[in-house]
Amino acid sequence: MVVYSSIIGVGRTVFGEHYERNPEDLIEEAGLNALINANIERKDIEAIYISDYFLQITNKIGIEEGFLAELLNLNIPMERFRSFSSALMNACLAIYSGRYNVILVGGVEKISDRLDKIRDDLMMLYDPWTYYSGGTPESSHELMLREYIKTHNIVDKSYNKFMESLAYVSVKNHKFGSRNKYAQFYGREIKIDDVLNARCISKGILGMYDYAPPITGYPSDGSTAAIIANPRIAYEYSDKPIHIIGLGSATDYISYTLRPKRIGFKSVELAGSKALGEAGISINNIQIAELYDQSTIMEMALLEDLGFCDYGKSWEHIYNSYVENKLYYELDDGVLYVNTNGGLKADGNPLGALGGAQIFEVISQLRGVSNDRQIKVENELKYGLTVELEGFGTKAYVFVFRGD
Amino acid sequence: MSSEPIERRVSYIGDKLRGSRCSICGGMYFKPRDYCGSCGRVSIGRMEEFSLFFEKGKLETCTIVREPTNSFRKLESFIYGIVAFHNGKIRIPARLTDYIVPRENVEISLFEGREVTPRFRRRYSVGPDEIIPTTSLTFTFIDEYYPYQHYEIIKPNKIYENPGIVGYGFYTSRFRIKEGNMIRAVPFLDEDSITATVEAAKWALIHSAIDHSLIGKVYVGTESNPYAVKPIASKVIQVLDLGEKLGNGVQGVDAIDTEFACKAATSMIKDAVSLVSYEKSNIQFTMVIGADNSQSSPRDSPSGELDFFVGFGAAAFIIGKYDVIAEVEGWYSATSDTADFWRRDGQRYPSHGGRFTGEPAYFKHIAKAASKIMEKMSLKPSDIQYFVCHQPNIPFPVRVARILGFKEDQYLPGLQVGRFGNIYAGSSLLGLAAILDVAKPYERILLVSYGSGAGSDAYVFVTTPQILSKRFRIEKFNVRYQAENKFLQYINYDTYRRFKEGI
Repeated sequence: MVVYSSIIGVGRTVFGEHYERNPEDLIEEAGLNALINANIERKDIEAIYISDYFLQITNKIGIEEGFLAELLNLNIPMERFRSFSSALMNACLAIYSGRYNVILVGGVEKISDRLDKIRDDLMMLYDPWTYYSGGTPESSHELMLREYIKTHNIVDKSYNKFMESLAYVSVKNHKFGSRNKYAQFYGREIKIDDVLNARCISKGILGMYDYAPPITGYPSDGSTAAIIANPRIAYEYSDKPIHIIGLGSATDYISYTLRPKRIGFKSVELAGSKALGEAGISINNIQIAELYDQSTIMEMALLEDLGFCDYGKSWEHIYNSYVENKLYYELDDGVLYVNTNGGLKADGNPLGALGGAQIFEVISQLRGVSNDRQIKVENELKYGLTVELEGFGTKAYVFVFRGD
Repeated sequence: MSSEPIERRVSYIGDKLRGSRCSICGGMYFKPRDYCGSCGRVSIGRMEEFSLFFEKGKLETCTIVREPTNSFRKLESFIYGIVAFHNGKIRIPARLTDYIVPRENVEISLFEGREVTPRFRRRYSVGPDEIIPTTSLTFTFIDEYYPYQHYEIIKPNKIYENPGIVGYGFYTSRFRIKEGNMIRAVPFLDEDSITATVEAAKWALIHSAIDHSLIGKVYVGTESNPYAVKPIASKVIQVLDLGEKLGNGVQGVDAIDTEFACKAATSMIKDAVSLVSYEKSNIQFTMVIGADNSQSSPRDSPSGELDFFVGFGAAAFIIGKYDVIAEVEGWYSATSDTADFWRRDGQRYPSHGGRFTGEPAYFKHIAKAASKIMEKMSLKPSDIQYFVCHQPNIPFPVRVARILGFKEDQYLPGLQVGRFGNIYAGSSLLGLAAILDVAKPYERILLVSYGSGAGSDAYVFVTTPQILSKRFRIEKFNVRYQAENKFLQYINYDTYRRFKEGI
């Protein structure tokens, strides 16, 4: 089995509005936290891979690397990516190739600096024709929901149950997020009726509580960082390095309308099976997963694309958790915890930094340092997985982690 | 700030919904491309261009957008979804238009699975100094106001000695305002004189059944072009692919906008007729369109009286010598420099000369042009079955008809202002279209336009037997259908003003 790299430290900021702070200030805080967590010095870093989506637009920052070089007084190689997961994947491959031993991976976003125009800017993650036709950041989610309902013929009583199970995704994620002191909605639990009422207010299929920031109107600023090292030297720095044992990434058409698969994402299917195949484990071995819940329907669809549930069945598992008031999903072959940090919904989604929060959570859980969010499973907690998407499933990144 | 090259490329594809079909596997792609994704390299050079503009599709899946992106804010709420063409071989994102979304919950499944047809509209809001973005990724249901009629090209079988009308189309929106004895057509938020022109031209093409590439010149007469500089006619030729294809998106066709208040279009009919008659022009067909989103200042401001009368719509006529439905027998024009109605450059709304728009302007010119042509052609009112003239309101055309000696059965069929409002450059032409909808063969029509400034064009047409055989292609969407449609939506004054201003 391959170990691509080992994560020796993670750090992050609180997600939410950081009105008084520059993006550099946020990345500094997350980076320092990660350095402290990994117990290394600035000079130990051999390269930096940083990610952000919109700094060029929100803050008119064109060369992020230069800001970091200045901030750290370092002249080491640095590269810039869009999502944290793409930065991490490339960093993993760089470590695996033997080029570097220690890399700082960081992500940052400062959406609130351009709140008035961000809804239109977010349409850059779609194809222009979607925008020209009046598409919004929400509309593709709702079209997928309609396709799901029609394809699986969810009607009458089932329809109401189905919509409740979707609502429960949000309730569950808020429950976790309310216990996460870094989360945008720390201390903010919601009830199933809140989600259902928000749908009445929106007078659409889904409501505000079905969507995660930034498309709810709540911007998420924030930064995350991880220090990854060559597994050979990981133990020199950390007692409990977490190993990345599977990587997968895939793409899909930018135009949702032109995709042959419009329920769930082909990209997730491909990236997931690739990552699991490399890790040499089956999906049933995964005990904790961070799934990209930009909307409640997305968490539901991703469960199916990754193979946790059969197509058209994930909502029934979710519904059972709702009825039995459980924070995990009981699948055919065991128990799965999803989005224990609160997910995008409650933790927040500072696009470029988001993947770092997923990794932060899985690492903390596998290390057993998640305090009152720490999950307990029957066997030893060993395998975790993250899925991050760019755009509406246009790119998918899947990582499989193994605890020490 | 819009980008000129991007706008050119996007409207070139989006206005006509152009795509490519692989001649090997039959795979279809929205947006033209050079090779097929399934067949790969062998398909290079074997892709054929097609367009979905004259097709109908199916709204497969949709949702309601109640919180649009900034550029769509003025539309408030709309239905957005996926439209499939050719049994799902091709899918495109779509905005439903001509629909005011109710404030309460809407059952989405009532919309899904229904047939739709592309409509040419404004895409979204831009600044006043920017290029107006257009699109045909906007749709309406074919079982509502706007029906679907297949555009079939038929080889003409008869050539006439005199050129005349070969096909025609009238278009106005489904929205109306009713005040007193007037019902007036109101554009939807994303409509303007450009979109109405294209719609009328499209129906004229459908009715004529001629090959669009045979049209040699397009004249658009209007006084409400949203551009001070930039023709509407060029949009018409691009969306309908008029004239010969020269490659690189250029058509071998002439196109021009004309302006002379409400006679901007009628003035060009004689030019259109002459052009197809002149052998060396090599032009078989020409198109004349009168269109207006008739402008008026609000009621409470100077010249705001117009606000009680203005309408919206366009009437298009294809002129040629083949398969003519109404031959042009003669014409006469009269002009004087009478400034009874004007709009200075940079002004949003026109001004008018109050009661002087009547006697020394409207009545004088129409009466002179009409009497002169009847004298010239030795015609008495009794030789003429239909009389139609410019219709700024109901009393004016009635009075002038009576002065000239016409009776109700002669002038009522063409009197449409009470059902659509004053469509300015399209006003008398709307009346002509209504007459062509009902006229029998060998009937004579006298048309007299009036344009402030001032002048009148008088024409005498005589119908042919082909008016009957070609009628079925326009029957679904003729003038009466648009006036009496059960899907008409009546709006109040505030909504009317908002719709008039557009997005």
